[in-house]
Amino acid sequence: MQPTLRLGTRTAAPAPTMVATLFPPPTREFRVGHAEIHAHHGEIVQGMFYSSDGTVEHGLVTLPCTLYRTRVRFRPLRSGPLTVEPGDRSRAKAAARLTLDALGRTGWGGAIRIESNVPIQWGCGSSTTDVLATIRAVADAFGTVLEPAWIAGLAVAAETASDSLMYGPGRAVLFAQRRGRVLLDLGGPLPAVRVLGFNTEGEHGVETLTLPPVPYTAWEIEAYRAVLGLLRRAVEEQDPGLLGRVATASTLIMQRHRPKRHMPELLGLAKEAGALGVQVAHSGTVAGFLFAPGAGADARIERARDGLGRLGVAASWEFSIGAAAHPEDPS
Amino acid sequence: MSGPVINASFVDAIALPRLVWLRPNLIGLAFPLMKLLPARFIVRKALEEGELRPGGLIAETTSGTFGLALAMVARLGGHPLTLVSDPAIDPPLQRRLEDLGATVHIVREPGPTGGFQQARLAVLEQVLAEHPGSFCPRQYSNPHNPGSYAPCAEQLAYAAGAIDCLIGTVGSGGSVCGISSYLRMIWPELTVIGVDTHRSVIFGQSDAGGGRLLRGLGNSLLPPNVDHAAFDLVHWVGAAEAFLATRRLHRDHALYMGPTSGAAYLVAEGWARENPDRLGAVIFPDEGYRYQDTVYDDAWLEAKGARLDALPQAPVEWDHPHDGDDPWAFFRWGRRSYAEVMHRPAASPEPVPA
Repeated sequence: MQPTLRLGTRTAAPAPTMVATLFPPPTREFRVGHAEIHAHHGEIVQGMFYSSDGTVEHGLVTLPCTLYRTRVRFRPLRSGPLTVEPGDRSRAKAAARLTLDALGRTGWGGAIRIESNVPIQWGCGSSTTDVLATIRAVADAFGTVLEPAWIAGLAVAAETASDSLMYGPGRAVLFAQRRGRVLLDLGGPLPAVRVLGFNTEGEHGVETLTLPPVPYTAWEIEAYRAVLGLLRRAVEEQDPGLLGRVATASTLIMQRHRPKRHMPELLGLAKEAGALGVQVAHSGTVAGFLFAPGAGADARIERARDGLGRLGVAASWEFSIGAAAHPEDPS
Repeated sequence: MSGPVINASFVDAIALPRLVWLRPNLIGLAFPLMKLLPARFIVRKALEEGELRPGGLIAETTSGTFGLALAMVARLGGHPLTLVSDPAIDPPLQRRLEDLGATVHIVREPGPTGGFQQARLAVLEQVLAEHPGSFCPRQYSNPHNPGSYAPCAEQLAYAAGAIDCLIGTVGSGGSVCGISSYLRMIWPELTVIGVDTHRSVIFGQSDAGGGRLLRGLGNSLLPPNVDHAAFDLVHWVGAAEAFLATRRLHRDHALYMGPTSGAAYLVAEGWARENPDRLGAVIFPDEGYRYQDTVYDDAWLEAKGARLDALPQAPVEWDHPHDGDDPWAFFRWGRRSYAEVMHRPAASPEPVPA
């Protein structure tokens, strides 16, 4: 459940009821706030899912990626303008404003500085990492840490859709990206896999935030039930093979709506190279082959890399998810 | 699926099957009343799509479990229901339907062609015409019938991960075609085995030469919902074999199910013996209470000439679905269309009644 943001201003009267759920509470003192958040590499699955009350919601499970990250520094000002650098990051600025309000610092300003190496428009969460790191940096400036559910609410308010990076890699969630709430806590991390990533469009990307929602068919909406059943099994059993099947199923459904270049050949190559499955950024241009960690993985990844080269995909990169990849939550 | 819950209705509480190990490589899907899934989903979708108004009349032709499921769903949803049936309906079922508020219309005379089924369809069309705004679920052609089985595929995927083979009887094309279509999204190599009975036209036999003693699977008309290309293998099981297998299922596993479950069990056991390293799941569509005085009564079996002492050990392979009469036979359907298998040009398929 998404808690309502009810923390009122400390100066305005009459003040709304204070709900003392922030821990530690925001301090009177303030300092330069810092935050860093890793990006993602699209999704393991994205589709429509039944929520516990029977409604159908757009939802996704993010594939975290430690290759890219965004750092934000926030220097608060008791009065004055709110500025952001680079100047085009208006969503991060909106998120900072919402966070100041939520912390009872309405009317405050400050300087946001964003440093990011997340590729733009590839579907790796460049905008979301700006927004999430900004929210955390603002909170950090007042000595507090926000619950992921609060961050989700602020992020969706700032940019209409978000992904689930605020929950960290320790606990996979099925996240309603347009509502900013968790549809299902999968109860553990995604199983450990190695990922060979690439961009199906070379260097190019797509503007993701203006993409209309995918018009899933009635059959597809039902089919996501089976996909979700298998995902729950994959997480409970920590079974990378089942995770690969979940990713491929979601990729195949998305291929009917937002086709990616060379997908039939990519699926064939994945099979031939011994990959567990193929994941995509459902709103973006990156894709990845999932491999079981352990013996033989290097050779399989090498074979897939060669195959990508033959398909004209020159650049590829490798990362892992699972315990080894994340000694601790980057937050 | 997510721990102990209090269900919104009894239909929700019992719609999904209980999953039971029958062998180390075979899972039974024991449904109390499988047709609740399509009945619930078809009515829900009709309301969503505006084909059925809140409180609007539902009418359907059925004398079996789909009627019972519809009666439960219609009652809970506040819809009047008219069911068109024939004299073969068993009196306890008719009383139960009527207790649920359904109007049961019995057709007394078979039609000049197509027998009682055709005559019932004619009466149904009349009822629908007389009640503008009424809704007919049409389980044989409504895509929401196979579409309704996703919760079962979800349950199976969550509980078992992935299975290698799905075995089930075919009557309307709903359960086997529906569950397998969803499972193949996550497990494309899934083997699908359909179980039919002799003198059913679904997989190319002729229905000439008398009725079918084994009810609840097979059909005298070819339902559009049957997706023939879903099936790798088709088995035909005779009535006596299905009845004995039903009793075996009860004696071996305390599973008190109907005769279609027996037919599926016979085929599934055979598959599981032949494939010890693969995992199968078999669909048991309803419980045995309706058959206490028939399948579960030796005297009735004797009187019908349907009492066996032993089950056949293995099926006979047929080269073609044409009228064979081995009591247990199979054919390698090979995921082909009906026309491909029956060597008829695709342009002139078998006439399919509406």
